[in-house]
Amino acid sequence: MTLTAFPPPPSGADHNDLRQEVRAFLAEELADFSPEKRARSWNGFSRDFSRKLAQRGWVGMTFPEEYGGHARSALERYVVSEELLAAGAPVIAHWIADRQSGPLILAKGTEEQKRAIVPRIAAGELCFCIGMSEPDSGSDLAATRTVATEVEGGFRVNGTKVWTTYAHVADYMILFCRTGKSDDRHGGMSQLLVDLKATKNIQISPIIDLAGEHHFNQVIFDDTFLPSDALLGEKGEGWSQVMSELAFERSGPERFLSSFALIEELIRLLRIDATEAQQAEIGRLSAHLMVLRQMSRSVAGMLNEGNNPALQAAIVKDLGALFEQDIPRLARSLISRPAVPGGRDSYAAVLAYTELAVPSFSLRGGTREILRGIIARGLGLR
Amino acid sequence: MESMIHDMAERLFRDHVSHGLRADAAAGQCPETLWTRIEEAGLHMALVPEEAGGFGVPAAEALGLVRIAGAHGLPLPLAETLIANAVLAGGGLALPRGRLTIAEGAALRLERRGGALHASGHMAMVPFARWADRIVTIVALDGVDHVLSLPVKDLTVTPAQDLAGMPRDDVAVDLALTDADAAPAHRSMGGMRGLGALVRSLATAGALETILRMSVEYANDRVQFGRPIGKFQSIQQYLATLAGETAAARAAAEMAAGSYDTAAFALTVAAAKSRSGEAAQTVGALAHQIHGAIGYTEEHALHHFTKRIWSWRDEFGTELDWNRELGRAALSSPHDTFWHFITDSTAQGVLT
Repeated sequence: MTLTAFPPPPSGADHNDLRQEVRAFLAEELADFSPEKRARSWNGFSRDFSRKLAQRGWVGMTFPEEYGGHARSALERYVVSEELLAAGAPVIAHWIADRQSGPLILAKGTEEQKRAIVPRIAAGELCFCIGMSEPDSGSDLAATRTVATEVEGGFRVNGTKVWTTYAHVADYMILFCRTGKSDDRHGGMSQLLVDLKATKNIQISPIIDLAGEHHFNQVIFDDTFLPSDALLGEKGEGWSQVMSELAFERSGPERFLSSFALIEELIRLLRIDATEAQQAEIGRLSAHLMVLRQMSRSVAGMLNEGNNPALQAAIVKDLGALFEQDIPRLARSLISRPAVPGGRDSYAAVLAYTELAVPSFSLRGGTREILRGIIARGLGLR
Repeated sequence: MESMIHDMAERLFRDHVSHGLRADAAAGQCPETLWTRIEEAGLHMALVPEEAGGFGVPAAEALGLVRIAGAHGLPLPLAETLIANAVLAGGGLALPRGRLTIAEGAALRLERRGGALHASGHMAMVPFARWADRIVTIVALDGVDHVLSLPVKDLTVTPAQDLAGMPRDDVAVDLALTDADAAPAHRSMGGMRGLGALVRSLATAGALETILRMSVEYANDRVQFGRPIGKFQSIQQYLATLAGETAAARAAAEMAAGSYDTAAFALTVAAAKSRSGEAAQTVGALAHQIHGAIGYTEEHALHHFTKRIWSWRDEFGTELDWNRELGRAALSSPHDTFWHFITDSTAQGVLT
């Protein structure tokens, strides 16, 4: 299969009955949710919402039933995900656990880890964060310095993680760190499961973003003791384990629907009256969205088959970020109405929020430059 | 997708479609022998039902031949003949031997004169008309789409060409039609414009893949400042962008091909023609930037592909035409939200 081939999603991928159930649920749960709140997209946090969603069986959908999951397909999970994102539902409390931490534990964890944690993820009770970036290790993940030294009964961890989204409320972190020396730049890394509520000597402090919001944190490990059973997967295999998560992390609808609240606001206004030029721009936007969705669903189909379409996922994320970052520009080119943070006019408020959010879209989850380097190598550049 | 007919086409074009053949065709010489080989392989019949002489392969697979032909810059009306035969079969008309082509019927006037049908008018930019035996088109009469099979020998053809030197002729029609040459279409697929847009999108996707491959090879081979230019990050970023646009064009075209003969076709083909045309713009520019001056010469093969993708944007509706159509549909849709419009746009009901 070539890099530029995205096989069509399997037929029947629409799952229309499921889609209508999710829509009815969201219409009720989010009846009073303002456009400005919806604009926060998957950054909205509500444990209550995540639990209610789980009660409907829509968290941990692809997990096996014996671990509290629902044994649904990746395509069914996709339908639920995109409906949540399109509605701007507050999903971050379960999103990372559902998307990648749960699947990682299921794939690499011990039986005890699976039994202790996965059912609680599926119940919408556990919020996960990912401890990857460090002050001197951003795009260059192999420069990771945080070290877990083996001691009796476990590990002593020292180091600092940054940009750790929702660490201040999360229950668990999956920590990427060094557990040994290796001649290979990617060797000697491991993943550790950190119980943030029960572990001492972890200092979590906020990093406020340019919008004045608190999503990021700095997390300092200061001689932090973790028990031996914190090790997730094989010792020294952390690098390849992280790489296998990336297709899940990079290909989903959250990679092109982050500005969707602004699209709905824009179209609401243009529906009243639109020139041919405005119609054409909305047509172009529709074409891009239809195609991104097709590509993203294609990757979900490949994941469902047990493949690791990491390169295709990088393409989806690169194109998706370009698309969602372009929406404020597009809106400004079609409607002359100033952005007003917190404004009473919902278009103005959503535009303001989205303008401040978009720079992060090509930074988080792998920068644009890193993704393109991955794609270029995948093309066979020597 | 494993496909016998794709393998067959891939081999045939690899062995016979050379830089020289494309250049000769651009100079006006129809590659007759190659067409005979295509007919012997039966590729031109792939989109008609088995009972009408096809292979019985799914439409999306048959249409995949158009992408492969595009990837080789095939200077023959294979895409046009595939569609023409499928439309003729749908109208219950005979499938003639030989090369066929297609044209939008909007400019033609169809009327009854006495008991017989009469077609008249001018058609511009008809692909390969002077190399074709018949032009197949769809024209409405009293609100009913009619398939017309127009014998080129009875028409007035004035040669013209596209950017790549391929025949795109002006055709004057003033012709009484027999029952053998006209029949009501078995259903509406939005006329010939949508079908033409579909095959141009697929061919563009194929040509983009060839342009991408050529660009990667060139970046690996060309040494400047002591190393292959592909080692430079700026070139890597160009190639990654090129790959993303190529993948999007192919996904778009295959989305439309996958909804051939379904209710989703009208919107997916609009998205496909718009998105593949936009990709052609970006990819053409970047591929030439990567190739440098040598890629700007007649000697180098790149122009056969970039000129094709630029030309195909202008046929069967430009990006602007299709964007307007799609935008009008989005803004006037009865759906509660734009999102509902988007999810329904690819939902495949059966066309009635």
